Amino acid sequence: MKHSFSKSSLNSCLNVSGPKRELWIASLGCLIGSTLLIIAIQFYLDTSSILKDREVPKNYFTLNKKVEGGALINLGKNERTFTSDELDKIKALDGVKRIGGFIRNQFPLTLYIWPSGKVGLGAAAKTDLFFESIPDEFLDFIPKNWNWNKNSEVVPIMVPKFYLDLWNFGLAPSRVEYPALSTEAATGMPIELFIGKNRETTLSGRFVAFSKRINSVLVPANFLKWANKKFGQPEANDFFFLWKNGSIEGPPLTRSTLASLREEPEFKNWEISPLENPADRSPASQVLYDKKKRAGPSRIILEIEDNPSSSLISFIQQNGLEINREFPEQDIIKKATQAIFLGIAVIGALLSLLSIATFATSFRLVVARASEQAKNLLLLGFSHGQISNVIFTRFLTLFLFILTGSVLAGYGIKSLLLKLAFEYGITLQSGLSFVTIAYIVLYGLIYILINRIVIKNSVNKLLD
Amino acid sequence: MLIELNQVIPEPIPKEMIERSEVWGTQLKIEPKSFTLISAHSGKGKSTLLHLLYGLRKDFSGEVIMDGENIQKQTSSGWTSLRSTQIALLFQELKLFPKLCARENINLIPQLNQNAPSELEMAKKLNMEGFLTKPVETLSFGQRQRIALIRTLRKPFKLLLLDEPFSHLDQENIDLASSLINEIARANQATVLLTSLGETPPLSFDRILSL
Repeated sequence: MKHSFSKSSLNSCLNVSGPKRELWIASLGCLIGSTLLIIAIQFYLDTSSILKDREVPKNYFTLNKKVEGGALINLGKNERTFTSDELDKIKALDGVKRIGGFIRNQFPLTLYIWPSGKVGLGAAAKTDLFFESIPDEFLDFIPKNWNWNKNSEVVPIMVPKFYLDLWNFGLAPSRVEYPALSTEAATGMPIELFIGKNRETTLSGRFVAFSKRINSVLVPANFLKWANKKFGQPEANDFFFLWKNGSIEGPPLTRSTLASLREEPEFKNWEISPLENPADRSPASQVLYDKKKRAGPSRIILEIEDNPSSSLISFIQQNGLEINREFPEQDIIKKATQAIFLGIAVIGALLSLLSIATFATSFRLVVARASEQAKNLLLLGFSHGQISNVIFTRFLTLFLFILTGSVLAGYGIKSLLLKLAFEYGITLQSGLSFVTIAYIVLYGLIYILINRIVIKNSVNKLLD
Repeated sequence: MLIELNQVIPEPIPKEMIERSEVWGTQLKIEPKSFTLISAHSGKGKSTLLHLLYGLRKDFSGEVIMDGENIQKQTSSGWTSLRSTQIALLFQELKLFPKLCARENINLIPQLNQNAPSELEMAKKLNMEGFLTKPVETLSFGQRQRIALIRTLRKPFKLLLLDEPFSHLDQENIDLASSLINEIARANQATVLLTSLGETPPLSFDRILSL
């Protein structure tokens, strides 16, 4: 048997006016709630992706020996290095996976940075600086031009990202000759490296990357090894006065010269004192012990299994060490953004739930207002399904219209923030991600299903 | 469609009415393809009987069997199927949609009776062709009654229930309507139950029952 009725007749005889105010409230709630959910999901995904790329893994720490006292005391700087014994002990501690030492430059270093992009053009930023290197596996990423060999024209340099921020938000605004720099512009700046107290050697350098993990000025390990060997002053700060019978004997001697005297019969009675602090005398044999002590790095990076174990913490406390998470504010930023987006998502979900409830109430009222006509249609042999479909289609049209509006609003807000993020040097993927769309489809299906059930149940109660 | 009423008594109905009735509290069989006139004064349960056979009332004792099926065991979807393909009822109160035009009302049925002529032909037979495009709310009750009759006859049916179908028609229109009912019900080989307040319409009834 064929159908006789036209759907428009069926629609028009069930076309009663709904509760306008409630429908407006539900529509607005749905629009705002859905938009907030879209934004929360999309930006949670975006920030997670950005922070994941730049995140310090939670199990990386650096250790160094505490520096205590004022500047005058520290002028006679005893190197606060880790001995090989200490390194072995740390390596053996519970939860420590591996350790790597920071190597430091052993030569005076001055940098001329040319923000104009050309050496000699405009003003240069001049600074005395240091270089460090760590094994590449501890870097947060290996930059593209990180390789260096003896024939390289340029020394690649990696500095913390916040150095660039300090430049842009601190130095540049206070000095007209220094422009603000984007990441790209900063990596294009020529840098002159002057090595030696009298700048005997000049090399070229470039910033190749900005680290979010390591709080140091890094160069490739093979460059630093080569440079220390070539330009280093391994015994700088390593001269001692030799004391014999309570008075200084002759000019200061190097550690190796003193070591060569250890076979002298009186050696055990002699004393030494550092060049910087002649009064700080100690037995001459100490020079041999110190040599061993000075073999290690002053700062180490270690990877641990999880949070620092109790044995690691007690070792740190007993040995006067400092433990540092590099850039812990990354965590704070992550937690803050997650809290913000969770808050937005919760508000969005609450608004959506309220709008579902308001829609459900409104469409129950629509069914009630159309109940006389609906009952007549049921008496004519129309099924409950046919009637609820008419009312459900009305809801669906409205809901899809609102959801499309939400998606467009979400897309618009994302585009706006995309531009803002770009100005801060953050590159985001444009548009809404597949995952967001998938969540919205799922959300839409749940929303539709709940209202479908409500409308169906309301119609099913007619003529029962 | 064969209908069997086995000691059916609707609630509430006075005892003396049951004793005098040829339908309530009796063993009654209405044969397939038969025409039956249910004649009674107001308040005797004519509409109740038709509503009961249409599944709208369940407040009765006894059994109603339709083609061997006890209607009390019929599900909601079963009734929907029966109403859309097996049973047609012309309500006394017509149940038209006043905002729709006559043609839209006629066509607002879930299934179409293959033995029924077009709505225009049927309207012509009842002198209603000029009113098909008019909103039902602008028509007189007699005109509405004819529109409702056309709609009922355009549904597929094996059982046709007509509740005082000529109450607002003059004799000429009663004759025309009776002729149309006879034509289509015979073509459908349907069982017909028609109620009236005492008058006998010009149809050849197999049986006349008093409530």
